[in-house]
Amino acid sequence: MRQLLSGTVAWGSAVIALFFLKFQRRTGDRLFAFFAGAFILLALNGAALVIARPDGDIRAIVYSVRLSAFVLILLAIIDRNRRP
Amino acid sequence: MAEVVYLLCALTSALCTALLVRAYRRTGTRLLMWSALCFFGLAANNALLVVDLIILPDIDLATWRTVPAALGISVLVYGLVWDVE
Repeated sequence: MRQLLSGTVAWGSAVIALFFLKFQRRTGDRLFAFFAGAFILLALNGAALVIARPDGDIRAIVYSVRLSAFVLILLAIIDRNRRP
Repeated sequence: MAEVVYLLCALTSALCTALLVRAYRRTGTRLLMWSALCFFGLAANNALLVVDLIILPDIDLATWRTVPAALGISVLVYGLVWDVE
């Protein structure tokens, strides 16, 4: 069950990234590029957790990728709010 | 070190949720609503990760903590497919 849910997260994140890439191509808005990058990182993170099932320090490194994704989203929102 | 990463994941995802909710309330853009719902699920997942790995390390919550993340991602996929143009 856990693998199914984790696979859903990984695949779903990849699909979401594709949508945001499409929006970025259509509008040229870099907010969508940031979001696409973040969801690609979340997809890789989800896949790594299912395939490798890391433990200890390796798990912390894998979760650092997830942290990077959220930081990217925050940067995207801050960047968007700064623009006139 | 690992605990810091897990805590930061929980905090940053909660902050993302809050900012997306604020942006949706200001603009009414439905993509922001779907994204906020997704990040709410991801924030819940990260909060349960902190509970699972730091607060209650003897209890395995791996499956339970993946449920909100899967729901959040599914909600955003639904919104992108059916509601956003």
